This record gives sequence, C-alpha cells and structure tokens, in this order.
Amino acid sequence: MLAHSIFFYFFSVIAIFSSLMVITSRSTVNSVFFLILDFISVGCLFIMVGAEFLGMIILIVYVGAVAVLFLFVVMMLNVAEQKQSWFIGRQTSHIPSGLIVSILILLELLVVVGGWKYKDNLMSSSTLSLSNIPNTHQLGLVMYTEHILYFQLAGMILLLSMIGAILLTFRQRTGVKKQSYIKQISREPSSAVEIKEVEFNKGVKIDE
Amino acid sequence: MINNLNILLPEIFLSISIFITLMAGVFIKKSFNIIFNLTIIILIITFVVIFNTDNSVEKIFSNSFIKDPFSNFFKLLILVSSLFVLNSSKVFIINNKLDKFEYPIIILISILGMFFMLSSNDLILFYLGLELQSLALYILASIDRDNLRSTESGIKYFVLSALSSGLLLYGCSLLYGFAGSTNFEVIENQLTKENTGAIFAMVFILVGLAFKISAVPFHMWTPDVYEGSPTPITSFFAVVPKVAGFAVLIRFMLNPFSNVLLEWQSIIIFISIASMILGAVAAISQKNIKRLLAYSSIGHIGYALAGIATGDLSGYKSAIVYITIYVVMNIGAFSCLYFMKKDGSYKESISDLSGISYKHPLLSASFLIILFSLAGIPPLGGFFAKFYVFSSVIENEMYTLAIIGLLTTVISAFYYLKIIKTIYFEEKKLSFDKTKDLRVSGTIFISCVFIISFFLYPAFLNDVVNSIFIN
Repeated sequence: MLAHSIFFYFFSVIAIFSSLMVITSRSTVNSVFFLILDFISVGCLFIMVGAEFLGMIILIVYVGAVAVLFLFVVMMLNVAEQKQSWFIGRQTSHIPSGLIVSILILLELLVVVGGWKYKDNLMSSSTLSLSNIPNTHQLGLVMYTEHILYFQLAGMILLLSMIGAILLTFRQRTGVKKQSYIKQISREPSSAVEIKEVEFNKGVKIDE
Repeated sequence: MINNLNILLPEIFLSISIFITLMAGVFIKKSFNIIFNLTIIILIITFVVIFNTDNSVEKIFSNSFIKDPFSNFFKLLILVSSLFVLNSSKVFIINNKLDKFEYPIIILISILGMFFMLSSNDLILFYLGLELQSLALYILASIDRDNLRSTESGIKYFVLSALSSGLLLYGCSLLYGFAGSTNFEVIENQLTKENTGAIFAMVFILVGLAFKISAVPFHMWTPDVYEGSPTPITSFFAVVPKVAGFAVLIRFMLNPFSNVLLEWQSIIIFISIASMILGAVAAISQKNIKRLLAYSSIGHIGYALAGIATGDLSGYKSAIVYITIYVVMNIGAFSCLYFMKKDGSYKESISDLSGISYKHPLLSASFLIILFSLAGIPPLGGFFAKFYVFSSVIENEMYTLAIIGLLTTVISAFYYLKIIKTIYFEEKKLSFDKTKDLRVSGTIFISCVFIISFFLYPAFLNDVVNSIFIN
C-alpha cells in the first residue's frame, strides 16, 4: 500500500509540475515536451487506478500521435520565443486579469470539491471495479452491445472530420501528367511510331 | 431489440442516405446538381417518416435515446427550415463557385447530429450529437476556403466553440460524478438543491448551450461568423442550430434539472436580459446587413429565453412559438439577401438598399413585411410571438424582465425602421440585377404569407405546441 501511495504522489507531482510548465515555459517546443510528460504521468495514474485500457490509449493516442503532431507543427511554424512571461521579463496586461479569473474558478472548484468530500453517500473507489474481469474486457463487453449507438455516432464524427479535411484542403491540380497503365499496355507500334520523310533543311516537328 | 429499431428509423434512414449520397458524389462526375436534388428528396422523405410516427414516448439503448412528441416537433421544424434554407441557396452557391457536392451532405450530417441531440436522454448521446452538429458547422463556415473572411470565420467559430464544448464536457463530467449516472432520469432523481457540485456543473452545461444559441455573454463569435460565412451558411447558422440548441435547453429544464429550477432560473434571467439589451443597442451602428441580422438574432434569442426564464410550462410553450416564428422570419430575411446582386457580385451593405423601392417594389415590400415583423409590429407574426412570451412572463409576475423586454423592443424597432427608411425614403443609388429565381422568391413568398396571415388563426401554432406536451 505504501508503494502504491509513493507512486501515486510521484506521478501526481510530475503531472502538476509539467502542466504548470506547459503554460509558463517561454519556448513553445519546451511546452510541447512538458505536455508529453504530462500525458505520460496521467496515463500512469490511470493505469494505477485499474483503468489500464484508458492509460494505454492515452499513451498511444496522445503521446504517440497528438503530442508528436503538435511538436511537428510547432517546429515547422516559425514561432518566435515568447517575449511575455509569467515570472521573468516583461509582463503583459492580460496575465493579471487572466490570473484573477482563474483564481476565482479555482476557489469555486475548491467549494465543489469540499462539498463532494463531505458527501455522506460517497462511493469508495473499491466499489468501482465490480468484478474480476479486467478493464479492457469490460469495455469490450459493452462497446458493441449496450453502447453501440455511441460507438456508431463516434464513427460518424470521424467520417465527417475526414470529409471536412478533404473538402477544405484538397485541390484538383490541373496539368498533371498521370500514368495510365491500360493506355501504356494497349499501345500498338503502328500508333506509337510514325515514319516521316525528313526534308533537307526543314526538319520535322515533334510533339504536335 | 431489432423490433425497437423503428424508433430510430428517421436517424437510420438519414445515415444510410448520407453514405449513399457521399458515394454517389464521389463517383459521379459534376455531381453537385444530382446530390443537391437528392438531398432535398431525402429531407422530404425524412419529414414524412417522422410525421407518420405515433405520439408515444419510447426509449431504447438503455434509456439513452428517447422518441417523444417534443423531439418529433423540433425534428420536423429543423427539417422544414433546412429544406427552405438549402433550396433557396442553390443559385447563390453556384454563382459563387461553391458548388461542391459535399455542401448538401455536410448539412445532412449536421441535421443528423441535431436529431441525436434532440432525442438524447443521456449526457453522452447529447454530447456526441452536439459535436457531430458543430463539427459540420465549422466546415460549413469555412467552405469558401479561398476567401479570407470565410476561413477566418471558420477558425474563429472552431476555436471558440471548442472552448465552449470543453466547458460543457467539464460540466457533464462533474454532473456524472455527483449524480452517479449520465442518464437524465437518474440525474433528475439525484439532484437536490443541497448538491452544490451539481449546480456548479449545471452552470458549465448552460455556458455550453448558451454559446450554441449565441446568447450574451457568449455571443462574441456571432457577428464575425455571420458576416464572414457565405450567405446560405449564415442563414443556416441563424436558423437551424439555434432551434436545436433551444430545444435541448428546454429538454434540460424539463428533465434533468427540474428540481433545481430556482438556481437555473436566475442565470437564464440574466442571460435573457443581457441578450435583449445587447441585441437592441449593438445593432444600431451596424453598416453590414448580415452583422445587423446577427445582432438581431441575439436579441431574439433573448426574448425567447425570457419565455424559458418563467420556468413553467406556459412559458416554455410561448418560447417554442417564438422560436418557430423566428425561424420563419429569418428564413425570409436571409432569402431577401440573395436578390441584392449587382453585376454578378452580392452586396451586403445597408446603404446599397437605398431607394430600391422604385426599381424593385416586390423586394422592398417583402423587406418591409419581414422587418416590421422582426420589430414586432401588429398584426404581423412577430408581434404575436412577443405577445405570448411577455404575457406568460407577466403571468408569472416577473415584471422587471417584462419591462426591460418591452423597452428593448422599442429600441430595436429603431434600426429595423431605419432600414425601411433607407429603402423607401432615400435617394436611389443603384439598382440590382434582374434575377429570376423561383426557389428564392417562393421562399420569401411563403415566409411573408405566413407572417401576414398568422393573425387570422394564431391558435393553430398554439394547438400544435400544446399537443407536444401532452404528458
């Protein structure tokens, strides 16, 4: 149990620290690296609660795909190092106002968490895993039965995003020479080669 | 299970026809015309399918999907309004070289998302429907991808809407944590006034919904997106998603949040008053008619929210009547913009309308009717809409709301009348191209006839709205 809590605090501290660094670090590339670190530690936390499927999905999808994509985008765009900063350097006017709003929301959240903590019928985390079936197996049991509608609808959203990406970026290029195998194979010598009498001092026109 | 699937029949039909039209669009060359007409036929068939369903309340997929008269009414309203919006947009789309076959298909997908949103009895289904709907709208906003303003409006809408979706999702997750379920009925039983966390969650959900119906203070995207997107997309934005968002708002009040009505009410009253005031004041200085209509739609949402703010059934009914008449008026107003064409390019400035009554008497007359109705002048339809809302507000003794509402009505009448003055009493500047477009003029005609003749039998709409609340 002690080892469990040591790991829990270890990953939580890393998660909080790296998420703070995401918004405060001056270089955008560093921000993305901290974001990846954040995703990894949150994924580890998920695995510790017993939601190993969710943890792995976070590792594969967020760390493996999304964050790396972010990194590429940030590296390809010519993002200058941010002049404004939270702690060092010139401070801008939007940071204090944003800080006030975020502190207000944080205070409200504390009230909410307090109310939740002292709720009498609080579910203990042990009741969450009802059976000995592993998490991934449980997901598989409901994914195509009880939650088939959500699953299909999520598929619809993916289809739409694909259509949208094609619609907004695809441009039909003109003047592209495309290879047509059928044309190439069915060419006959008679249509491909033409013998011309070359007159003196005049030459022939090619590719009319 | 299979027997119950006919509850989902309209949605299944719509999804299958989306796949078929998509495939047809990809494999047929120059397919815009075919797909466009096919889409209109699909909309009509879906209308018939929903119209023929009985009024029973049925739930499937472990109570996450609900079919009831309430959702059926709004589905029909969405189908009819998108049919008119789509039908009248054809010439504009072709003239502006936006005739890609994806355009009608994306509108269909967006309608499918709204259907699921309206029929949701579960937070997950609600969120998925909402996302499907808004993802389609981001694409539509930036469909004119070579136009800087269209892409700008698409990006703006995407970023702000994603933020609001994040807040909404956060609210949903909190609500799930406090109520222990995502199902609306369970949430309704679990929610009590003492449950602070759930009220916190409710505020987040309300923020997300207020963004979708562009109520103040979450309206910032509206003028820019309305101005930047192509006119057919703007008219779709102004009408269809608002109906869906509004219906879901009422559903949330009827079902999961009915126990915490008082807390919810004070927020709605604030949003309603703020939208009415901003819609009235900010529109005065607008030069662009699409921006003006954007502010006017913010104001109208404020009036409709006043009906919801009463928190009782008669108020909801008046709000539904209001939103129905609002839809008819806005379809007419945006269709009029299709005639503001000079030398092949579409004009959007109010000063271009100056003195057109000599050259275009019919267009000016329709502008006159629709703008008078938007201002709420009797005996046109817009007056009755406001009348029902404010009478139910006064019945519930919310006098401040009623007084502010009436004052803002007077203020907003100023800018509607200013346009009419520009049309009828100012010097002639330019005359628009002569265009014959039966689709558009038919739409304007139907809208005007509805507005004018509404006073003959106003109980018709009330009866329909009453019938959706039988249980």
